[in-house]
Amino acid sequence: MAEYIPEIQQAVLPGGLRLLGVEYDRVPWLSLTFMAKRGAEADPPAKGGVADWTAEFLTLGTQKRTQLQLATDIEARGAALSARGGWDATLVSLEGLAEDLPELMATLAEVVQTPAFPEEEFPLLKDRRAAELAHLLDDPREMANRRFTRLFFKDAPYGHPVTGDLETLEAIGLEDLQNFYHREYTAGDSTLVVVGMAPFARMQEEAGRLWGGWQGGGPASAPYTQAPEKLCSSGLYLLDRPDLTQSEIRLGHLGLPRSHPDYYPLRLVNYILGEGGFSSRLMTRIRSDLGCTYGIRSTFHFRRAPGPFVISTFTPAAQTGLVVKEIKGVVREVLEKGITEQELAEAQSYFVGHFPLGLETPRHLGSRVVSMDLYDLGWDYLRRYRERIQEVTLTAAQAAARKHLQPEALVTLVVGPAAQCAKDLEALGAMEIID
Amino acid sequence: MTLARQLDPGAWQPEMEIVPYRLDNGLNLFVLPDHRVPMVSLQLHYHVGSRFELQGITGISHLFEHLMFRGSETLGPEEFSRILQAKGGEINAFTTRDHTSYFENLPTEHLELGLKLEADRLANLKLNEDNFQTERQVVISERKLRSVDSPFGLVLEQLFAAAFTQHPYQWPVIGWDQDLKRMSLRECLSYYQTYYHPGNLTVVIAGDAKPDAARDLVDRHLGKIPSPGPPRPLIVQEPPQRGERRAVLKKVAQVEALFAGFHIVGLDHPDIYPLSLLAIILSGGKSSRFYQEFVRPGRAVEMEAEIAPPPWTSEDPDLMVLTAIAAPGQPLPQLEEDLWAAVARLQKDGVQPGELARAQKLLRAQAARGLAQNFYRGLLVGLFQMKTGDASRVNQLLKLYEAVTLEDVHRVARTYLQEDNRTVVTLKPVSPAESQALGEMV
Repeated sequence: MAEYIPEIQQAVLPGGLRLLGVEYDRVPWLSLTFMAKRGAEADPPAKGGVADWTAEFLTLGTQKRTQLQLATDIEARGAALSARGGWDATLVSLEGLAEDLPELMATLAEVVQTPAFPEEEFPLLKDRRAAELAHLLDDPREMANRRFTRLFFKDAPYGHPVTGDLETLEAIGLEDLQNFYHREYTAGDSTLVVVGMAPFARMQEEAGRLWGGWQGGGPASAPYTQAPEKLCSSGLYLLDRPDLTQSEIRLGHLGLPRSHPDYYPLRLVNYILGEGGFSSRLMTRIRSDLGCTYGIRSTFHFRRAPGPFVISTFTPAAQTGLVVKEIKGVVREVLEKGITEQELAEAQSYFVGHFPLGLETPRHLGSRVVSMDLYDLGWDYLRRYRERIQEVTLTAAQAAARKHLQPEALVTLVVGPAAQCAKDLEALGAMEIID
Repeated sequence: MTLARQLDPGAWQPEMEIVPYRLDNGLNLFVLPDHRVPMVSLQLHYHVGSRFELQGITGISHLFEHLMFRGSETLGPEEFSRILQAKGGEINAFTTRDHTSYFENLPTEHLELGLKLEADRLANLKLNEDNFQTERQVVISERKLRSVDSPFGLVLEQLFAAAFTQHPYQWPVIGWDQDLKRMSLRECLSYYQTYYHPGNLTVVIAGDAKPDAARDLVDRHLGKIPSPGPPRPLIVQEPPQRGERRAVLKKVAQVEALFAGFHIVGLDHPDIYPLSLLAIILSGGKSSRFYQEFVRPGRAVEMEAEIAPPPWTSEDPDLMVLTAIAAPGQPLPQLEEDLWAAVARLQKDGVQPGELARAQKLLRAQAARGLAQNFYRGLLVGLFQMKTGDASRVNQLLKLYEAVTLEDVHRVARTYLQEDNRTVVTLKPVSPAESQALGEMV
């Protein structure tokens, strides 16, 4: 067994919180992550952003310290506190030098366990968020991602950006944040991950002292696991942005949950289709052969419930129709003609050879451990990962491609100047102009 | 299996083991052994970037970086990446104003393959007109992405174009649109002959490699490639700025913003250390001056003082850039006035001991975190070597920061953040119709 794969040690504290620890000896760093296993999918209806705002609000004052005191004390140690809602989980992380382990562990516990929810901070948070959201509209890539999410999932739990939208911002009140905290931050559905230069016994001792009695709130909302019944109809949608010189293009359909047994074959198929950079068919066709873009990639967003499969790229506006047509052609070709034995072997060899790089830093390790716990991947996941990649056969990969790639179901969103691209797009089929 | 681990932070030494070699053809090699993960970071740093370009061929260094992936006598376009990626490698390259760097983060057993392929594209690069035209289109798309359609890309280009009147830092690394369209394959090949040879190359191997064995491998593959010697040093100087310069850029945007550039120093000047600490004091973290005064109360989406810290600092004197992005409804002129008032307070009163200590510890922490990665270790050594000729400076970095005093920070704030030394470009939002009436954005 390769010795660079670390041991993941664990304990369950008396209050029910799970502690996962990894000893790390390369640099004196410490990465602490508190994970509540509910995220933006648990946002209240029409109040997208609550999970993420709640996480940030914890950093804006505790029962002992104000925002400024907290930030000053943390940054005086060269450490960084971050808190964000994601899909399926909310993460509050504190990273810093291992010499400060007692203070960093105590601070994370204080932030998560004893937030003060200071009323005076709420209007400030709202103003900051409104400004950030307005500014995001100036970034065409971000705008396309956010618009695609809403278009595709409509009002389903994955159907809003995790940071919320300008349209729903006013609906959120301080009590929504307090409610989310009291409901979803509960010891039985949370985990503390510690990776750093310290013996596990020390991590356990500090965690036991600081978190042993913590039970949090609850009961947490039921985990979201099923795909919504109604999604956006396949077809072509155009959002006119006359000021842009390039079109941002997104094509997607529903993907799979992380727990699906086809996870490994599909990762390999997708590497060949569009995740593998210059080894991928999409990059080869759209960039290397046609010179139409600087970058293109496809991603299956594996989540607790089925996430989206999305192909993302951009191209000078006049080429938009051509690029959409070519992308669909590449997907169809993978579906109909399959992949080659050599492509599969190279994809497997990439994932196996690249594996150690993902274990290089405490942050890498912490994020692996978080995923293992969140998606119940098994404690032997790291040790068995390469074996699972290598055991995928060509037959299994071909079957996964046929079953899970659906070119006819693709929802295509173009954000670009209609005057330069609408005519070519209309030639590809019915097109709807959206706001 | 549980290893006997060294888990005492007090026993950790930040110094890296750096083993230098010089091959007969002038190639500089640095091996940084570390065997914790069975991977190596192979890095080839060519001492050429947009600083070495001329008007009319701006962007050629970066375009050429793309062409290095388009094939050799024996390999087809992008085959270089495909072969190494299929071994688990992470392959990429980047061009800056001062250098062009290619890297492969690879499983240890494929280090030789990486060297073999790097030597192949250095000695046997093969380009044809078709490949050149395709890659030119890719770069034009990249320019639109990074500069034209990005929120502030064109504003930053204007800032550097106005702040530098004679020095090549006045044009962007990606080049001007018209130069990209005009450039020829012949010009690229001539550029290649001048700058791509072992005498202008620093190779770094960081990670799971034994120094002498790594040296032998490098010698076997790159040692026979001839070199005409290092290119003649290019000495260029921007004259001192004698008064504030201002410009306005109008485009469709949700927010007003301003970017102010102050001429500072290059990597080899000792003031870069207090300047880097000053930037952190002003805007690093949520206890910083700018965050508390402007961002927290919702007046600015962003208020930053930016400087590229060593070794990312440019070789020649660069700009320290203050960025103010106004929150919607907040008037930019008022924000600007308050920003200069904050700078004036800093120049009058200096900084507090706690502020300096916080910035110093932050840099120490960042260094410790970065040293966990072979790739980062390799970059530190390669960039210091190329820009100062002294790779070993990387091991003095923390001491250089720790030696900075309150008076040093106060002095650099007074010396560099002066009105006569600044260039200010503001972004003024306009409607799509007004934008169209102003002409094409390129």
